[in-house]
Amino acid sequence: MKLIARCNGREVAVEVEKRLHGYQLKIGDAAYDVDVAVPRPAEPGGLTIKSLLIDGRHHEAAVRPLAEGRYRVSAGGSTEMVELLDPLAVLAEQAAGGAKAGKRLITAYMPGVVKRVLVAAGDAVRRGQGLAVLEAMKMENEIEAEADGTVAKVLVKDGQAVEGGDPLFEIE
Amino acid sequence: MSPLPQLLCSALSMAARTPPARRTLRKVLIANRGEIAVRVLRALRELGLESAVIYSDADRASLAVRLADEAYRIGPPPSTDSYLRGEAIVELALDVGADAIHPGYGFLSENAAFARLCRERGVVFIGPPPAAMAAMGSKIESRRLMIDAGVPVVPGGRDPLADLAAAEAAAAEVGYPLMIKASAGGGGKGMRLVTRPEELAAAFRAARSEAKASFGDGSVYVERYVERPRHVEIQVLGDAHGHVLSLGERECSLQRRHQKVIEEAPSPAVDDDLRQRMGAAAVRAAEAVGYANAGTVEFLLAPDGAFYFLEMNTRLQVEHPVTELVTGIDLVIAQLRVARGETLEEILGERIAGGRVHPRGHAIEARLYAEDPYRNFAPSPGRIEHLRLPEGPGVRNDCGVYEGAEVPIYYDPMLAKLIVWGGDREHAIRRLERALDELRVEGIETTTRLYRQILRDADFRAGRLDIGMLDRKLQDGTWGRPEPAADDLPLIAAVIAHAERQATRTAIPAADDGARARWRTVARREAVGGGPG
Repeated sequence: MKLIARCNGREVAVEVEKRLHGYQLKIGDAAYDVDVAVPRPAEPGGLTIKSLLIDGRHHEAAVRPLAEGRYRVSAGGSTEMVELLDPLAVLAEQAAGGAKAGKRLITAYMPGVVKRVLVAAGDAVRRGQGLAVLEAMKMENEIEAEADGTVAKVLVKDGQAVEGGDPLFEIE
Repeated sequence: MSPLPQLLCSALSMAARTPPARRTLRKVLIANRGEIAVRVLRALRELGLESAVIYSDADRASLAVRLADEAYRIGPPPSTDSYLRGEAIVELALDVGADAIHPGYGFLSENAAFARLCRERGVVFIGPPPAAMAAMGSKIESRRLMIDAGVPVVPGGRDPLADLAAAEAAAAEVGYPLMIKASAGGGGKGMRLVTRPEELAAAFRAARSEAKASFGDGSVYVERYVERPRHVEIQVLGDAHGHVLSLGERECSLQRRHQKVIEEAPSPAVDDDLRQRMGAAAVRAAEAVGYANAGTVEFLLAPDGAFYFLEMNTRLQVEHPVTELVTGIDLVIAQLRVARGETLEEILGERIAGGRVHPRGHAIEARLYAEDPYRNFAPSPGRIEHLRLPEGPGVRNDCGVYEGAEVPIYYDPMLAKLIVWGGDREHAIRRLERALDELRVEGIETTTRLYRQILRDADFRAGRLDIGMLDRKLQDGTWGRPEPAADDLPLIAAVIAHAERQATRTAIPAADDGARARWRTVARREAVGGGPG
């Protein structure tokens, strides 16, 4: 299976093949043989704990599927969002969007309720500008734009409950 | 010499009136929640006593309820409607036949009126006499009591200074560096640091006008400024027969906004001589208010070795386990035995041979909070989707949650405490690092990543601590959010999860059954045939 992966602003081509005890992966120029065991299988749609042996080194990762093709991964003491896309879909998006490449998803960093959406589709936003107010444990926190851009899509509305990692906005 | 204040008199007479009689405890009601409720009920079980806990609607499925002999609903989630309902809790204790109430820490544990209510209704309050709690509950009153008892306090006083001449006289007495503070103060308003006599006049005028503007009251006072102090506290234990003993110190300098995060015993800054002097001062403090049961006398320790009384916590402390690990004394069991009227000699036996307790090895505690340390400690409630607690040599976890538990939004965000013991400080630090490596919490944010940074820090490793250190190093970015992982690990994990999901989705049920049946046949054959050599 071929995929395009996005993580931390990096976009890279990925290939994955099933093997007897795990998977063979190519990520950019790097190749990995990964032996996988799952000491804690997922409830449907829930979190799995994966025991990964990569060249004899053991790593443990907790993976939670979010929206289609999006995963939250905790491993090695940090948590990252990973987006996996069909290469054809990426091509189609680039062909259709032309100059509109560089879409970014803004996600909720904690579970809570969207108190107020502060912007609308088409609005120009500046880095650091508040996009929405998220409330949890009686504390209000602003979700900020990570860079200058234009709001392409507003994916939530006032009063909506969100999980950590849920997409809130698409910014171009 | 000022006359004995009213509070002290009542404390003494109360202590004199309390008969040092032996009491039998059969059942104890725990008026608390979370890890401390679990901690107390473990002690009850080890003593062969029955345990009952109260719970709010948010805690029905809590670990404490699941481990207790009996559990009773006390109200809806907000603390004021549940864990703070003193009257209802005492009524409940009487209803269910509990002879005593253990208040834990927080909630009603330092509420003298609640302790008095227990006593009036004939329920044993597991803690000090109410008068001792009341005396230590007032900052101004306790400071006065401590001065009379010869316990060192930060030089200075709250008496307002009439004019510059009065300020100069007070400053000469207190010594430099000093702080000018607003009598009506708070939040740093009307506060001035003065390092040399030449600066006093200007600072005095500025502080007065700022205090006047902020609080409508321009009165100010002076206090010695203790530079980069440590927070070192002494655990004391008293029985109902008038004996009080120091069980040694705890170093609790790592705090953020006055909330302790990592504590240890012994303190890297305290040698045996200082330990004896601080211990003796703490015992004098406790005796001055007729103290009994477990309590903690908190001191500021200056870099020059001078120490000053801060306050006394008239209850069990969160960080009591580090003392337990270096002394071998179970403090909760000791509390219960004091409440039964036993003497310190009976409770501690050989451990107090020679009247002193010597720490053995080194213990460190890390408090696990459901907070994101890199988002200004924003609370992180939710469901604990995965929990793996560290185990193995020298590791103790005092945990109030379990995998699958919901962390409610109504209470303190502390989930658990990891406590380690090592032969020396370096070993204890390495052991805590190892324990944090084993720990896994998924579903909510916790403070563990920050703790790894703290444990690696050169100042921490060298024992160079002060109470401003955590906030300072967070602010200057030394202990900032770790860089995102640069390796491919998150990608590898996500891609494999994705491939597995795609595989289960595309599988056709009928073919899948057939495949599985064949696979089973093969597997069985292999199993029967035996593995390689």
